[in-house]
Amino acid sequence: MPAGNSDVYNIVQAKFLATEIVKTIHLNVSIVDGPSSNANRVLALVEYNSSHALFVLVSSRCPPVSFSDLSIETVVPIDQHFSCETEPVTEQNYVTLIIKYRQTKYEYNVEIGKESCNFAAELIRAKEVATDNKTNFTWLEKYFGTMNQSNRNSDPTMSDRSDFVIVRNEMAQAQTTNNRESRLKYQLKLRESEFTQIQEFTIFIGTWNVNGQPPSVSLKPWLSYDESPPDVYAIGFQEIDLSKEAFIFNDTPREAEWQKLVMDGLNPNAKYRLVALARLVGMQLAVMINNQHYPYVKNVSFDTVGTGLLGKMGNKGGVAVRLELHNTSLCFVNCHLAAHVDEYERRNQDYKDINARINFKRNPQAIKDHDQIYWLGDLNYRITDLSNTQVKTLLIRNEVNTLLKVDQLNQQRERGNVLLDYTEGDITFQPTYKFDLFTDVYDTSEKARPPAWTDRILWRGKGIHQVQYRSHMEMRISDHKPVSALFKSEISVIDPIRYRKVQEDLLKWMDKYDNEILPQVTVDETEVIFDLVKFREPQSKEIIIANTGLVPADFEFIKKHDEPFYCKEWLRILPYAASINPGEKCEIRFEVNLETDVENLEDILVLHLKGGKDIFITISGKCQKSCFTQSLSSLVRIQVPILNLTEDEWDQVRKNNTPVRYSVPRELWLLVDHLYRHGLKTRDLFESCALHEELIRIRNWLDYGSQDPIPGTPQAVAETLLLFLSYTKEPVIPFELQDICTAAANNFENCRQLILMKLNDIHRTVFIYICMFLQELLKYSKDNSYDAKTLASLFGDILLRDQIRNSKPQASRGKANFVYNFLVNDLSSSLLPR
Amino acid sequence: MARDYDHLFKLLIIGDSGVGKSSLLLRFSDNTFTGSYITTIGVDFKIKTVNIDGQKVKLQIWDTAGQERFRTITSTYYRGTHGVIIVYDVTNGDTFANVKRWLHEIDQNCEVVNRVLVGNKNDTPDRKVVLTEDAQRFADTMNIQLFETSAKDNINVEEMFMAITRLVLRSKLEMKERQNEHKDIVNLKDKKRSSNKNKTKCC
Repeated sequence: MPAGNSDVYNIVQAKFLATEIVKTIHLNVSIVDGPSSNANRVLALVEYNSSHALFVLVSSRCPPVSFSDLSIETVVPIDQHFSCETEPVTEQNYVTLIIKYRQTKYEYNVEIGKESCNFAAELIRAKEVATDNKTNFTWLEKYFGTMNQSNRNSDPTMSDRSDFVIVRNEMAQAQTTNNRESRLKYQLKLRESEFTQIQEFTIFIGTWNVNGQPPSVSLKPWLSYDESPPDVYAIGFQEIDLSKEAFIFNDTPREAEWQKLVMDGLNPNAKYRLVALARLVGMQLAVMINNQHYPYVKNVSFDTVGTGLLGKMGNKGGVAVRLELHNTSLCFVNCHLAAHVDEYERRNQDYKDINARINFKRNPQAIKDHDQIYWLGDLNYRITDLSNTQVKTLLIRNEVNTLLKVDQLNQQRERGNVLLDYTEGDITFQPTYKFDLFTDVYDTSEKARPPAWTDRILWRGKGIHQVQYRSHMEMRISDHKPVSALFKSEISVIDPIRYRKVQEDLLKWMDKYDNEILPQVTVDETEVIFDLVKFREPQSKEIIIANTGLVPADFEFIKKHDEPFYCKEWLRILPYAASINPGEKCEIRFEVNLETDVENLEDILVLHLKGGKDIFITISGKCQKSCFTQSLSSLVRIQVPILNLTEDEWDQVRKNNTPVRYSVPRELWLLVDHLYRHGLKTRDLFESCALHEELIRIRNWLDYGSQDPIPGTPQAVAETLLLFLSYTKEPVIPFELQDICTAAANNFENCRQLILMKLNDIHRTVFIYICMFLQELLKYSKDNSYDAKTLASLFGDILLRDQIRNSKPQASRGKANFVYNFLVNDLSSSLLPR
Repeated sequence: MARDYDHLFKLLIIGDSGVGKSSLLLRFSDNTFTGSYITTIGVDFKIKTVNIDGQKVKLQIWDTAGQERFRTITSTYYRGTHGVIIVYDVTNGDTFANVKRWLHEIDQNCEVVNRVLVGNKNDTPDRKVVLTEDAQRFADTMNIQLFETSAKDNINVEEMFMAITRLVLRSKLEMKERQNEHKDIVNLKDKKRSSNKNKTKCC
């Protein structure tokens, strides 16, 4: 990070969690096609758990002074769908950074310079690391929500976000399970000491640069140096094959040959099994374990990284093996870093690249995340500032410590440039490079390279105790001597019984948590009972839902199986769905309005909590019957008000078991007769809105019967008449006849025939009765201002009413025309019943 | 190492009102019991993860309203159920007589499902009216395992839930076995044998 930017860097980092590391940033970025003066974007490359993402932030001040100046505009995960290119902008000192994610393209202009070069290089490196498409990007989820909506829609480069949205959905679905799993994992780790005990394992690490020499000697002097057999061996070679074939095709017979020598050379006092073998060109790493421990090895994986020619080839680089032994994760890295005295910076870089690019494709994926790491190999660091002779003289005088002070590796580690946090044991052996072949004599060739400790073993992690660190002079086939280190390492061993107990505890604890975060509500009443409900006299009742849980509760009334709607047609629920915050309440109102003939109100509602339980709410109530909503054929069978009938009598009437008493219903006659006598001259008879109570009074007058005159103005009676005709169980002209009626509307004779032939006596009589009354009304049109067309239109919609109430009357004109025929023609003769 | 669960099953508790369905669930999930009676008006569920032969089985256990008037609605919750627990009250003969109806309900609404029969409130011998022998004879003829439990005194509750879970798990493994007849037969048979061995005997 450039020094001047470090404040800004901290401000950007403040936008993220501490575990989400801002790797590098780029200031003064402008969007392409935007005003070039407006370079107010900041790019940030952020890493979390070895996955990377590019963030584009908008800064209200340049440079930003506080993190609140920054808002996140775009988030691009760096995975296999990500790519980054640069393109020069003509005649300007700028370059365009082209970021592509699936079909989406983002373009930004940045000034050419060190900052932009670095940033682009880091992006490409991040992409290289992210070859595994299983990289977990759930941590990005929270940032999608912070991107403001206008940015998402207005920016033309982001018009096609469909892929992005898919990415987001996948992540959202994985969230809950992932959370639970990682919570369990985390808790298990916290309580590890309860179900594990420490057991010491001996680990033998060996490294040897064999200089391409054929495998021809026994390795026993090196690998079986100690009498008691180690539990684990990790043996690394470099330069097992220097041939072009090995380099180009990464294939060599030497692999098997050396590995056979290794197996033969292992301590004879125990039996070993190969756990993993990794090789890249000349670098080879084999991990063996004592048979008896083999069943406790799991999740073995390896990876190789080339850092040689072009930064990629396998002549240099590293090979790594990871495994879990009991409950401890181990990682072994064998490396061969860049050669030549002056190239120590290149060696540092190789080390960094190996760390960045090794990816085990299982968790943890990176080297650094293991409990114990053993780093071995030909690190190739030399002794600087001293001539060959000086080195040799000091060696003869056995002044090893003076030499180690000018050892490049020690120097670079002190400066924090390489193998930071690693430990190396005291070196008590002679430099292991460079010897004349088959001798113990340092390089006598023309080049006369000064001796150096190129071959090293370091470690990192808890509970590792080195007991030996040595070279093996008697191995003479190479220009290097092999090095070995013996460790007593603490391995955490699981006690299965205690582990199970802790696990069960945790599952219990998590179940408890899961049950606690289920939405919970209480309802003050699950039985809602209405008083006697009457026609068109709405009633309402309230219940209160209280959220007694820990999370917001989203409720909704849901429909029961096989039912078309979540409640019966006479009921309304307000609100039928809502969200209640913890500790809060919501009032729900149930409204009933009776417009059909219902004997009893009965409904069971299902109040569903999203992600939780269902509560049943029973609605009940008695209904009072009314002459409204009945069928004409029932009404013409009763001579008394409907409520004067006993249940049995009414039952018989409904079944048409009693004789027809009247030619039109008594109630219809009462209403029409009243209008005939008092309303013919009333202006706008059907157009006034009567008071609700007035209509109720007339309804009661009809249903209960009374000696008093009808209570209400002619307009109220007229409105009652319209209501009466609108709510009869079936319309005066039955639904099934309406189409042929409207089709015949332009010919009176056809209409007349239809009424004669198709309508039953009761309906025909009622129809003619109404029409004759309307004809009577038209005689006084000067007074009441009605004409035939107006009345036909008004009554057409009622006498031929639609099956679904309130539906748009499309055929209104046809219905009006049909009725019109009967208002302007003579009805007296043939239409009346004989 | 720390996978959340290996299997996820839905269990359903049914039976007459007041036999102790909710109490059984509460005892199993929270290990608590409350003497006061609160009728379940609706359906509720709880999550419980159990370990069976090293396999983590996550249970979603649904507790239903027992009242007659809700019968049609509750029957719609049978869908997708892996196991059904039919509960009666050993101190109330009517609830035992109704078990047949509940079994019929299952037949109407589920295809193939594992079942156990549970006589709850088995803690006060002088009030017991449904004799174990009668219940056992009935269970045998219906080919269903019987448990007598007490949610109040925590008798046999865990065993009963574990038994139905084992049945469900076994069915699932057997189905899987049928599906890949050529693969891993030995492996699955081993599992089956061990689950049989652990099957709890009823009291």
